[in-house]
Amino acid sequence: MTKAPKARLATAWLDGCSGCHMSLLDVDELLLTLADRVTIVFGPLVDAQHFPESVDVALIEGAVSSQDDLRLAQTVRENSKFVIALGDCAVTSNVPSMRNSIAPTRLLERVYIAGADTQPGVPLENVPKLLRAAIPLHEVIKVDLHVPGCPPSAAAIAHVLTELLDGRKPDLSAVAKFG
Amino acid sequence: MTQRINDLSSFNAARAAGLRKLIPGVPRIAIGMGTCGMGNGAEAVYHAFADSIHNLGLGFHLTRTGCFGFCAEEPLVNVLLPGQPLVVLRRIQASDVPALLDHLAAGRIPAELALCKIEDWDHITATIKYGVGQPDIPHWHEVPFFKGQKKIVLRNCGLISPLEIEEYIAVGGYQALYEVLIDAKPEAVIEQLKAAKLRGRGGAGYQTGLKWEMLRKAKAERKFLISNADEGDPGAYMNRNEIEGDPHSMIEGMIIAGYVTGATEGLLYVRAEYPLAVHRLQQAMDQAREYGLLGRDILGRGFNFDIALVEGAGAFVCGEETALIRSLEGRAGRPTPRPPYPAEKGLFGYPTNINNVETWYNVAPIVVKGAAWFTETGSPKSPGTKVFSLVGKVQNTGLVEMPLGTPLKTFVYDIGGGATHGKAVKAVQTGGPSGGTIPQEMFDTPVDYETLAQLGSIMGSGGMVVMDEDNCMVDVARYFVEFTHSESCGKCTPCRAGLDQALRILNRFTHGEATDSDLDTLDELSRMIRDMSLCGLGQSAPNPVLTSMRHFRREFEDHVRAHRCRAGVCEELALSPCENSCPLHMNIPRFLQLLKEDRLEDAFLSVVLDNPLPASTGRVCQHPCDNRCRRSAIDDAVNMREVHRYIADSIYGTPRYEALIGRVVERRLPPTGRKVAVVGAGPAGLSCAYYCALLGHEVTVYDSNAEAGGMLRYALPDYRLPVEIIQHELELIRRLGVQFVFNTMVGRDLTLNELDAAHDVVFLSIGTWKESWVYLAGTELRGVLHALPFLESVNKDETTPLGRNVVVIGGGNAAIDSARTALRLGANVTIVYRRERKDMPAIREETEAAEAEGAKIVFLAAPHRIVDDGSGGIQAIECVKTTLGEFDRSGRRRPVPTDEILRVACDTVILAVGETVDLDFVKASGLRLKEGGTMLEVDRHTLLTSRPNFYAGGDLITGASNVSNAMGWGKKAARTIDQALMDDYRWPLIWPEFHYGMTVPAHPSNAGRHHTRELDPAERAATFAETTFPLAPVEAMEETCRCLRCDIRADH
Amino acid sequence: MPNRISIRIDGELVQAERGQTIFEAAQANNRFIPGLCQFKGLSTVGACRLCVVEVQGVNRLLPSCTTPAQDGMAVITRSAKLNDYRRQALELLFAEKNHVCAVCVSNNHCELQAYAQRLGVTNVRYAYRYPRLKVDMSHPRFVIDHNRCVLCTRCVRVCNEVEGAYVWGVAGRGIGSRIACEMDRDWGKASACTNCGKCVQVCPTGALAEKGFAAEEMVKRQDLVERLATIRGTMNPGGSR
Repeated sequence: MTKAPKARLATAWLDGCSGCHMSLLDVDELLLTLADRVTIVFGPLVDAQHFPESVDVALIEGAVSSQDDLRLAQTVRENSKFVIALGDCAVTSNVPSMRNSIAPTRLLERVYIAGADTQPGVPLENVPKLLRAAIPLHEVIKVDLHVPGCPPSAAAIAHVLTELLDGRKPDLSAVAKFG
Repeated sequence: MTQRINDLSSFNAARAAGLRKLIPGVPRIAIGMGTCGMGNGAEAVYHAFADSIHNLGLGFHLTRTGCFGFCAEEPLVNVLLPGQPLVVLRRIQASDVPALLDHLAAGRIPAELALCKIEDWDHITATIKYGVGQPDIPHWHEVPFFKGQKKIVLRNCGLISPLEIEEYIAVGGYQALYEVLIDAKPEAVIEQLKAAKLRGRGGAGYQTGLKWEMLRKAKAERKFLISNADEGDPGAYMNRNEIEGDPHSMIEGMIIAGYVTGATEGLLYVRAEYPLAVHRLQQAMDQAREYGLLGRDILGRGFNFDIALVEGAGAFVCGEETALIRSLEGRAGRPTPRPPYPAEKGLFGYPTNINNVETWYNVAPIVVKGAAWFTETGSPKSPGTKVFSLVGKVQNTGLVEMPLGTPLKTFVYDIGGGATHGKAVKAVQTGGPSGGTIPQEMFDTPVDYETLAQLGSIMGSGGMVVMDEDNCMVDVARYFVEFTHSESCGKCTPCRAGLDQALRILNRFTHGEATDSDLDTLDELSRMIRDMSLCGLGQSAPNPVLTSMRHFRREFEDHVRAHRCRAGVCEELALSPCENSCPLHMNIPRFLQLLKEDRLEDAFLSVVLDNPLPASTGRVCQHPCDNRCRRSAIDDAVNMREVHRYIADSIYGTPRYEALIGRVVERRLPPTGRKVAVVGAGPAGLSCAYYCALLGHEVTVYDSNAEAGGMLRYALPDYRLPVEIIQHELELIRRLGVQFVFNTMVGRDLTLNELDAAHDVVFLSIGTWKESWVYLAGTELRGVLHALPFLESVNKDETTPLGRNVVVIGGGNAAIDSARTALRLGANVTIVYRRERKDMPAIREETEAAEAEGAKIVFLAAPHRIVDDGSGGIQAIECVKTTLGEFDRSGRRRPVPTDEILRVACDTVILAVGETVDLDFVKASGLRLKEGGTMLEVDRHTLLTSRPNFYAGGDLITGASNVSNAMGWGKKAARTIDQALMDDYRWPLIWPEFHYGMTVPAHPSNAGRHHTRELDPAERAATFAETTFPLAPVEAMEETCRCLRCDIRADH
Repeated sequence: MPNRISIRIDGELVQAERGQTIFEAAQANNRFIPGLCQFKGLSTVGACRLCVVEVQGVNRLLPSCTTPAQDGMAVITRSAKLNDYRRQALELLFAEKNHVCAVCVSNNHCELQAYAQRLGVTNVRYAYRYPRLKVDMSHPRFVIDHNRCVLCTRCVRVCNEVEGAYVWGVAGRGIGSRIACEMDRDWGKASACTNCGKCVQVCPTGALAEKGFAAEEMVKRQDLVERLATIRGTMNPGGSR
């Protein structure tokens, strides 16, 4: 019996606290099963520089906050069959959105000048440009599944991945809540 | 001291006193002093009359009236000379007064100032006979604006003084109240209203009789009647004018209702923005109290009823009855759910009946004339009349009272007089922000409650806003949602938060930021707001969106997919109005500015990269840009067509041409290796080939003729477009590497499958060379020609058997070209056209040139038969004279044949009545057709046909059109073809960056528009050489200085 | 007239008391209808529109909280259309203000959240508005955070109808509507506030909260207010005033 080819899984970390990635690692022994069935091809968990082509499932954590976030989200979408908004920041923009009522320039001044202990000054080079607002993922790309939660529970993530790998559409009503 | 009316004799005394004021026995002058009249200077007119009459000691009776309805002709002045008809004078200004008074003092009425005359007037409750005479002045119902109007509600408006209760009594006022009190049978009045099926005129259309009955049956210590005069729709002012012109009719209606329903307290809720209405109502109520018609012991019959007036602060939502009641109670004007209905639990918890202003106006007529009389007018379900305020893009605006069930087109075309400035009417918005848009195709719709509701609109309080092609329906929907959004009270979620989201989405559309999914989101959101909102405001607020998405979905899609706003309203989607209207979307301000900076070569590059055939379009374009140019608001449009012709002509044939061709060829992108076949070397095909070549593709053009140019070469006569010009333009296209295969007819010499196999993409752009079939006896005769073959044979220098006397049938460009060509061949020419001059599709300048050269044009005549001379030739043509009938779907009046036959002797008849594309080659090719097989079906945005890799554009997909439109399609096709071939948007790469002045001219040139010079007509008619000369350099330069630079935005 | 009437809810025949609203009749029969502005013991306003139902023979949707149940009425409380509309209404509420649940005192004890979960909201299709709103901390014991307010006006009604203090009202209109304290002054300066805290307890979200709680810690005691409202109010058989 030949083994089914492994699914290509990618993760991406936009404006979030990485809690959703932690939750993903919290799936305990399922990790072993997953290791048999998927290859993680991109994300903070692996050492890949460029987002690869033909990814089967992509999990995106975090809100879209900067130009870089926007580009990465678009790259993920172009190269992935199934895109999941993982966690409240990706689904609703959550905590990152709390800056949205303040204009980015004022925000940066407040943090890097008014709030600086040493060397006040807004960093301009080598930092991604902030978007006007941190927005949910689905406002910039098509999202196939929303997995809310702050973070989504390990059980929810495990459920989503197993169902998808088994070719079913995950039903989240029992394992996740909105908001 | 006035006498309280408490018996018939005192009533009759008041009536007699009123009649003496209406028909005073001396000249009576009444100034229309509604808000509309006063806005146009009626007050000054009144004072001018008052002063002059006083100074001259004329002893005339001077008074005020309300508005007679024709607001566009204000100020209106009624003049009554004893024994003569009442004459309505229009647009009277204070300066007219002295001369006018001289005339009147001499017993004359200047007919040139008169709008109409009234010999007798049916006030419904009485008839007033003025007198007969003044044969030169039309009767009021002969004026198109009034034709078909039936004034029941407005029976007194503009004729009696709203400030004189006696005048109201003189025309039968308070008669109904008197009868009701004497008869003392309140149930009978309710029965009468029910039999009359009077429906609430506020918009919902609930039966008034049933509402009154409910209130009558309600048991409570207090009952209230409320008149809802919180009229707040943009564009609606019926109630204001009704009150300003005739306040007593409403008061009488309310008193009758009070008696019938047992209510003793009435409230008028009038918006504070109507100060004149408030003032007149207050004065009218004071007078009614004085005369014993309001207050205690009315008419001495022991019945008490009084009315108080409350001024509303102007919240639109307070027109909703529950919000209005809250507002009257002194609370915030927010609606409450029904049930409980006001009839059970209304103002302060007591049973309450609310009627719209206009509903009350119908009460007295029904009481006096009976239900059967009332139901004679209008439709079976909606009897009676309704007052509409007809505003927007029509010639005649004003208040119009029509029987319910009158078709919409009667309002727009017959009363409104159709569109202004020769534009096409596109839609009517009925019911204001709560209503919907009804497209021109549905103008047969009868205007009544049910039919409008079926179309997703409402009658509402009677606003009717006419829109033409300059209105963007997306923007119209956005405007109305913005209105309801800011008028939402905020109580319920759908209306508060939903309208805010709807407005955000609509703003994305008008800014060109919307996506396809926004269309769906907007649709589902609108339905949800409609079905879920608490009150009528929210429930009806999505109507403008839902109806315009239903009837004008293409406009929404254009905003999303093509980033285009055809009407040119959404500024973010267009560079400037001229660019937006140009089928090629030429950057007109850019080439004007470059030329202004004396950079002719850059200007040429800008032009030729936007338009590969600039010298041709510079001569023959229909120049839609002229209609859009904002300069025309000052004097005339910038002559953009002639400037780009000047630019092209200044380069062609000079040494600079070679260098500039090089600069164009430089722009060509690296070869892609993709092969494009273009079928048809006409303007559409050439444009597509040019741009495909610039984009780096390998292009081959196939044509059945021996040379390129299509209609440009073979249909346009040499005097309009010399063949050398076409040669110059083709040279550039050849230099880009475009290959031509001539004398090859696709479908005959080469199959579509062969084309498909040899190329990656095929673009079809075949012109309309096939004559439309017309049924006309005698077309088989010798001497009957079709326009295009005739023009083609002349262009090919073939000998054409043309007689001495030529009749051309048709009114398009082909007809005029044929006529002018025939003139040049030495014939006498008569053009026969079935409509009027303004309906001719031909370029206006061309028609005028033809006439100057000696062509005669017979309008309003349709060919009937061509008469045989007995030997197979032509003796004459017989035409049926036509008159103009109803408006057809094109917004023009349909020609209707009469019995009159016109015979024109001739030996040649040229038919120019429309051409189609010969689509025989399409059979069994997998290409789907539309419009009865006369055109190819394509996706509007990509121009892809039903067959993969086959694109089409030009006449083939639109029917016969013109050069610039065809080129626009070719250009667009090249863009979408490249995108499909390369899976990338490479279009902007063709253009170099042009740097030019981007400041708005502080002092644009004051010069008028420069026209081209022409030889005089006699010389012209003798030659096929070009006789229209380009602008002189200084003239072209001055034209560029006339441009206002609409492409520069404040935020840039 | 008998006091009991029969109505059909989602096809099934159930008994209700005369004078009950459809919402109350459904609740008495353990039928779920969502509702954010409805609160047992307070008058009804029909504002949130979550509780709309279809009634046979009526061609528009009716708010069940204000529509009296009538003998023989056939009511549909769930359908694809109703569910979609209710979900849209919830999404509109989420997008309207700043509901950052993760850091909200009422996280996991919030009616808005609970309905979103129950009605299957997985994301908000509308653009979030991110308005800039006030958090009024001037009261010694309580806080009003306008970021979380859904404008149900329960606070307004409980203060007027049960406490009788008339501290709260609605200011502004349309999308600018907001709960206002007295003549739009800081809560800490309110002259009529009795510090009873009923408004806090009836608030369905974290908009009104007691001070001193961190995220997820504010659990409302609605049963106490309900009981008090029942004693104070002139109650309908079902509970609404």
